[in-house]
Amino acid sequence: MKKRVLGGALLLLTLCAGQALGAEKRWVVSEGTTLKKEQSVSAANLADLPVGAELTLVEGEGRWLKVQTADGKEGWVYAGRVSDTQPVAEVAGGDGLLGDSMQKSQINTAKADSARSVRGLSPETAAYAKQHGTPEALKKELDKILARKVSNNEVKAFLKEGKIGEYAQ
Amino acid sequence: MNKLRLLPLVALSCLIAAQAHAGWQDTINNLMKPDSKEGKILSGATQVLSSSQEMTYQTECTVGESLALDSMQRFGKPVQNEALQKYVNLVGNAVARNSRRSTIPYRFVVLDSPVQNAFAAPGGIVFISRGLLDVLDNEAELAGVLAHEVGHVAEKHALKSIRRAQFLQGASAITAATMKGSKGQQFESMVGDMQSTLFDKGLDQGMEYEADQAALETTFRTGYDPAAFVSVLQKLKKQEATAAKSGSWFSTHPPLDERIARLSARLDKYPSAGSAKLPARFAKYVKPARSGKSVK
Repeated sequence: MKKRVLGGALLLLTLCAGQALGAEKRWVVSEGTTLKKEQSVSAANLADLPVGAELTLVEGEGRWLKVQTADGKEGWVYAGRVSDTQPVAEVAGGDGLLGDSMQKSQINTAKADSARSVRGLSPETAAYAKQHGTPEALKKELDKILARKVSNNEVKAFLKEGKIGEYAQ
Repeated sequence: MNKLRLLPLVALSCLIAAQAHAGWQDTINNLMKPDSKEGKILSGATQVLSSSQEMTYQTECTVGESLALDSMQRFGKPVQNEALQKYVNLVGNAVARNSRRSTIPYRFVVLDSPVQNAFAAPGGIVFISRGLLDVLDNEAELAGVLAHEVGHVAEKHALKSIRRAQFLQGASAITAATMKGSKGQQFESMVGDMQSTLFDKGLDQGMEYEADQAALETTFRTGYDPAAFVSVLQKLKKQEATAAKSGSWFSTHPPLDERIARLSARLDKYPSAGSAKLPARFAKYVKPARSGKSVK
């Protein structure tokens, strides 16, 4: 009987110890996220945080959260840039479980994107258009659509101009 | 006495738990390193998994671009106003960067069509018609509509709807050479199925509600007023009786009353305070386009 009680207590304690080690997690879901020294977009950058990076929540419930990175850096991120669920990873990189795969996939998607804007339509789409008898004018329109790129800096400037999100006053 | 005996056991169990955690952490850390033994094993397993289970991003883009060509054939060319197209791309990319799938490049296009519609091609090309843009009054409303479509891209709803798309998984991706043969015919028929799903039958209602939820979440996280998306649906509801239905949001989406009710019930989780609506900036780009002028 004593052994049973002791076994139960041990199990409970082991579980409690495991629980204590599992702090609340957040994942970076937005492109161009940075760890800030203070709760402001104009504060100094402590680190660039890639999409998929896992963070430990230290404090904060409002627009800015205090977090710790995997390598121990502590700072603030805008709450809109993180989520309590992992973001979707690209198939080129893997199955959505690994940060490293996520980075590989970003490289692959970037390559695919720059390749298609340099060449215009991909050979596969061009072959489809030919097979399908798509008018030349529409192929040109799709070329224009694909060439219309927006950089991270343009988006940041646009948000800043509109005083949106982390740029709100 | 019993308590004293228990103390070392408590300390031991805590240590065991911490040790187990540390070992687990080391293995996970090694998995993240591509050159480690664990990393190589996992990388191999991941490639096998991804090639057998899902379509590559490149193939997804081919599907999306082919569908984009067919969409323009059906609904009309893009509006010839570069300032407007750039503006819509900025709003769309602002929300897409806060979506569940933020790492792929997105393109946003205003089509010169009076039918009130917006739809997304796989791979990240999102269309909104001039007819739907005319209903909107501010940037937050536009952000809501585009975020709904980004939600479809993020969750790959169109691809999941088409059973025939399974033949394009992993290693069997379409190429320019195979486009001519029987595989090309299969591909063409699959894009045709996707068109009929997106423009006539509509996606599964559950997918639409999921994209509605994504619109609230994504606009909120970007800093736009999440309630603006609900106001778009309310405006559409007012126009429903007289609007053209074929190929529009009216015919391909769940009933507006139900969508509005579901979203309204969730709005308290997404407070509007401090969020942006930006009617003036929206008017600066969209009003001249309505009157046929161009903003430089």
